[in-house]
Amino acid sequence: MSYLVRRLEFFVITLWAALTLNFILPRVMPGDPGQAMLVRYHGRVSPETIKAIEVAFGLHSNEPVLQQYLEYLRNTFTGNFGTSVTFFPVPVGDIIKQGLPWTLGLVGTATIIAFLLGTLLGMLSAWRRGGFFDAILPPAFIVISAFPYFWLGLFALLVFAITLGWFPLGFAYDLTTSINLSWDFIGQVIWHGALPALTIVITSIGGWILTMRNTMITTLAEDYVKMARAKGLSPVRIMLMYAGRNAILPNLTGFAMSLGFVISGAILVEIVFNYPGLGFTLLQAVHSEDYALMQTLFLMLTVAVLVAVLAADVLTAILDPRTREQG
Amino acid sequence: MRGKHVVISTLAAIALLAGACGGGTTGGGNNTQKKVGGVLTIVNESGANWQCDFNPYNGSVNGQAFGIIYEPLVYDNLLNDQKTPWLASAYEWSSDSKQLTFTIRSGVTWSDGQPFTAEDVVFTFATLAQHPDADLQSDWTVLQSVIQQGDDKVVFTFKQAAVPNFYQIAGQTAIVPKHIWSTIKDPASAVVRQPVGTGPFTMGACTPQNITYKRNANYWQKGLPYLDEVHYPAYLDNDPANRDLAVGNGQWGGQFIPNIDTYYVGRDKANNHYWFPPIQNINVWFNLKKSPLDNKAVRQAIAYGIDRGAVSQKGEFGYEPPGNQTGVLSPTFDSWIDKSQADKYGYKLDAAKAASILDGAGFKKGSDGIYADSSGHRLSFSIINIAGYTDWVASVQVIQDNLKQVGIEIKPQNLESTAYFDKLFTGNFELAYGSVNTSPGPSPYYELRNTLDSRATAPIGQTAAGNYGRYSNSAVDSAFDQYGATTDQAKQHDLIKQVQAAMLEDVPVIPVTEGVAWYQYSTKDFAGWPTKDDPFAAPAPWNLPDWEVTLIHLYKKS
Repeated sequence: MSYLVRRLEFFVITLWAALTLNFILPRVMPGDPGQAMLVRYHGRVSPETIKAIEVAFGLHSNEPVLQQYLEYLRNTFTGNFGTSVTFFPVPVGDIIKQGLPWTLGLVGTATIIAFLLGTLLGMLSAWRRGGFFDAILPPAFIVISAFPYFWLGLFALLVFAITLGWFPLGFAYDLTTSINLSWDFIGQVIWHGALPALTIVITSIGGWILTMRNTMITTLAEDYVKMARAKGLSPVRIMLMYAGRNAILPNLTGFAMSLGFVISGAILVEIVFNYPGLGFTLLQAVHSEDYALMQTLFLMLTVAVLVAVLAADVLTAILDPRTREQG
Repeated sequence: MRGKHVVISTLAAIALLAGACGGGTTGGGNNTQKKVGGVLTIVNESGANWQCDFNPYNGSVNGQAFGIIYEPLVYDNLLNDQKTPWLASAYEWSSDSKQLTFTIRSGVTWSDGQPFTAEDVVFTFATLAQHPDADLQSDWTVLQSVIQQGDDKVVFTFKQAAVPNFYQIAGQTAIVPKHIWSTIKDPASAVVRQPVGTGPFTMGACTPQNITYKRNANYWQKGLPYLDEVHYPAYLDNDPANRDLAVGNGQWGGQFIPNIDTYYVGRDKANNHYWFPPIQNINVWFNLKKSPLDNKAVRQAIAYGIDRGAVSQKGEFGYEPPGNQTGVLSPTFDSWIDKSQADKYGYKLDAAKAASILDGAGFKKGSDGIYADSSGHRLSFSIINIAGYTDWVASVQVIQDNLKQVGIEIKPQNLESTAYFDKLFTGNFELAYGSVNTSPGPSPYYELRNTLDSRATAPIGQTAAGNYGRYSNSAVDSAFDQYGATTDQAKQHDLIKQVQAAMLEDVPVIPVTEGVAWYQYSTKDFAGWPTKDDPFAAPAPWNLPDWEVTLIHLYKKS
């Protein structure tokens, strides 16, 4: 129990630190939103107009920093994230609502597939160490995951979209359809998402295979595995329930972290495949000094990672009784 | 060559007007029968998904609304100042150039069927006066009043003579319907999902990925537009947009394509074309408040030390042509250039001349090959630049090599854009590479004024809207004022010549290359495109409201 309490304490303190950093960082960046706006409107507008717009945006508050900070904390907990400057006058919440499903759908699904597949393949190649599987798979995927993503994405597009014509060149669904919940639309989404998802899986699977294989090899040498073999348990049961269950523990925290990072989207994927999502939104927010949007996205990212890590801690405690007892 | 362009575009304008008055064929100068039909796709990097907001008073989204849906009073061609009456059928300046009277066109209807009247025009400007945050052209910094006169006339009174402000007032301000906007409380932040305008297209459907514009069958220019539908997908980045252009998923492009002759034209030599008209200078800026940059001799020597042709070729792949020291874009505004004065100075790479100027001003070459003044200060300057603009970074490398030959050291500082603009606007730099961050205008006046007028700048440390070098010359300021007070073109040309004289003698900035309007088009299925020989509109899809004029000229080849 005390293990979990300590984890919770840690969670709360980190969260507060992250919230505070999140408040400070944008404010120490060079430039200011008014200038960013002058740049974006190409000086069509006079400094007076810029001031008027800044007031409309609620940018020029003369409140003391402490009061701004308290307001920021209150708004954060009440879910009032303000208005985006980049996409004025759209509330930050709406922008996130628009991008989040695509990010979760694409990057989330791809991350889960890569983890499951990678772990399974890693387990198998360790089980048959030195076999055909083991000789080909890990090195091949390690090499692929070292490729620059741009290169791989463009290569996939060139082969599968342009030359073979199997997949579309970009976008998340056909241009002229509107978003709805018909089978036709879902089919389009899957068809459009297949290639970007495939490239994410291919580039990230190598890491899972390698770590799983390595810990699995160590675990296979443990006494309890020998014991299980001696007892005559079925090989599948030994692989999954004895060796696999223990070898997966280190991978689990990594998986939780990467699930947390799903929120940040995949900027390169979104650019290469012209796919909607939060990654590119974050990039834009930073470019145009859009404090409200930037803060919210960073906040979501931090919270997601912290929650995922906490969840992994809890899961580890369940899977591995030693963590509970040592506390 | 230049004369021919003007004649052709005038013809096009007349043809357009004839169409407006009920004639059959319009545009392009080609009289083959043009049928209604066809779906055109615009492929232009928007850098964001669409918000499906069609508010012309919101600078983030007006690029999807102004022109195609909401129209200006007069269409003023950015490339040649050719003025075509649009929602106003006529206009007239008072003799002191302080009053401008528009005659509002009759027979125009809003897309919801209501008639368009002079009241809508007065309402539009009254709204902008009440809501400065919606006044994106800063109309009311020059306007004094806007009053209706009779049924169909609207009189604009200015605080001072304001001839060049015609472009922003008549050409760049979108007119909105009173019967809809009078109920909108906060026009700058209103979200307009179903726009009602007078334009040739209406908004048909919108998702974050794509906007579908539909033909407005009751458009006031009878028979126009020809296109049935226009698709405008949102592209986050150049790469996917360029791909769609190259494979033919779209017909009209407006962004940089590397290696365009192979990547784009090479795929369909007969149909894929491009034309990049210059619209803005890219300069080396001097901080004139810093010694020794306040010394004219140093600036002139640098101007003689730069090989503009090499910068254009090596830095910009030859797509952006070399600039010239008059500051007047060529070929866009060739008729304004004072050739004889420019030839007298003859600014081009001339290391001997640069050396003789520096020697004459008392600078001595040190043992390291770099000049220094009598107290030993070397001519060594940092130059700020935007790290993400790889073409600009390459350009500055060429300049650095050039000037090293002359004996001047340049140290590039490639910055993140926010830091760059912060330093540029506040005058916290020695040299800067870049253009004046203001919208271009239909004559050299606009860019030169924003670059040189002492009233466009601000003291060091404060944000300047233009004139980042802090140049101050009362003769130049006065030339701009006189320009604003005359509609006499010959006199305007004379005044711009005075400004060019200052550019050549004082070298307050060095125009190195000319930024262009990127424009690619495919003639496979559609015809009627603006071209170098028929520049009836500034051709990029992001030229507002020019894209409307391009769209009503386009038709599907049968």
